[in-house]
Amino acid sequence: MARILIADDSETILLLMRTRLEMEGHEVHTAADGEDVVETVQSDPAGHDLLLLDAMMPRRSGIDALRTLREQGVETPALIVSAHADSRDAKEDESDLAIDGYIPKPIDFDALFAKIAELTR
Amino acid sequence: MAQAYSRRRFRLSPSLANRLTIGFAIAFAVLTGLAVIGVARFLQQRQDYENATARSYQREIEARNRLAEGERPVAARATVVSQQRQRQELRDEIAGETRDTALLVGAGLIAGLTGAALLFTGLISSMRRPLEDLVDASGRLAGGDLDARVTVGGLSETATLGSAFNEMAEELQRRAGERDQLDRMKDEFVLTASHELRSPLTSVQGFAELLLLERERLSPRQAETVEVILDNTRHLVRLLNDLLDLARSDAGRLTIRPEPTAAASLIEDAVRTMRAQFDARDQRLAVELETDLPWVDADRDRIRQVLVNLLTNANEYCPPGAHVTVKARNADAEVEIDVTDDGPGIPEQQLEHIFERFTRGDAGETQRVGGTGLGLAISKSLVELHGGTIAAESLPDRGSTFHVRLPATAAPDRTPVS
Repeated sequence: MARILIADDSETILLLMRTRLEMEGHEVHTAADGEDVVETVQSDPAGHDLLLLDAMMPRRSGIDALRTLREQGVETPALIVSAHADSRDAKEDESDLAIDGYIPKPIDFDALFAKIAELTR
Repeated sequence: MAQAYSRRRFRLSPSLANRLTIGFAIAFAVLTGLAVIGVARFLQQRQDYENATARSYQREIEARNRLAEGERPVAARATVVSQQRQRQELRDEIAGETRDTALLVGAGLIAGLTGAALLFTGLISSMRRPLEDLVDASGRLAGGDLDARVTVGGLSETATLGSAFNEMAEELQRRAGERDQLDRMKDEFVLTASHELRSPLTSVQGFAELLLLERERLSPRQAETVEVILDNTRHLVRLLNDLLDLARSDAGRLTIRPEPTAAASLIEDAVRTMRAQFDARDQRLAVELETDLPWVDADRDRIRQVLVNLLTNANEYCPPGAHVTVKARNADAEVEIDVTDDGPGIPEQQLEHIFERFTRGDAGETQRVGGTGLGLAISKSLVELHGGTIAAESLPDRGSTFHVRLPATAAPDRTPVS
């Protein structure tokens, strides 16, 4: 099963995602914002199979954190969770971030599990 | 909404033309007076002339009589000659007076008429230009061009009218600007609210789902309660999505990403999504597609949204056992998709407003049906973004049909888009 780093500024949503992902048998690490994500990944660049980042977070957004990591050569697959309903595919300025998919809120967990299985095969 | 309006007063001050007209009237009266005096004087002179001539004849005749009587012939002959000369002088004098009077009166008449003609021509042309400007600007304003203004100038009457018009246009433009800004704030508000509501909804829906994963540890009543929470959460999400679509549509930001798609696959897609709901209400969902349906330039997700919306309405408003049919056929350069049901139908007075937002089936139905009243309004926007049309017809107790027409496009040559 996969080692997944999840980031969201809402503790409730972190708890929800952690619970559902652990029930599926994944190993879950959490981060409270983009700054946290960058530090965690930098301290152990090969420690995660997947990044699951909220697009909008205080201090540093998921998009912004991913941009920094990609510039540093981190190639871990990444999914962006977005509360924007219209997030069916990449915005123009995000095309170089190698984003593997957008997960709209509220999260459809069955679809998310399928996506994770596909990315961490 | 009642609104208090202040009233601007515009004062019409007398113009130069106005004063000119009065001045001209006085001049005309004076001229007329002079002419009357001139003519009267002339008539008097004429009378004097006739009297003097008559007296002269009288004297000549008397002289000729004396001559005939043979009395002092030299003096009488001199009188005759002098009387004839005097009359000649009188004739010359009156001829001169006649000529002078005629000249004076004629000149006055011509001067007066010319003055009047010049005054009126000037008056009309000085009003015509500003009035034409005003007519033109009013036309543009009525057509929605709020930048329409006139050049203020000319007579003070037309200048006042011009500034009154400009102030009116200014005020209209200001109000339109305020309204646009309110609209933008409303759109922003809906976008932000929809975004902010999504996170807590994610938690509510997620944890309710989590509880249901452990259904075997819940009592039946608890499980049912959680299902109610979930149902309502999904309804809220649907409402949120619909409101968002509507706000986007209002802001002109509802966009589609069309690509060539087989019409048949769009319909099958929607039917597949809805099949379970029809089974759950024991309704029959039939599909009748012409064999060679064309391709359409369609945003797959959005057209599915439209068709699912029509099918959801049929599913929710029709009683168990109802028959619902999706038909599609070629119609000129379009594909027509009909969703027909044999349900309760739509009352005529509701049918007219069916594509307006927050229009819903009557209250009795509303209790049971979970819609938002926004689905058809959004469907209409989406179909129109595709260059298509949507229409509804219905007979009470016989059922309803919704027609969706989408422009056909050429099928791609080789690699069909999957």
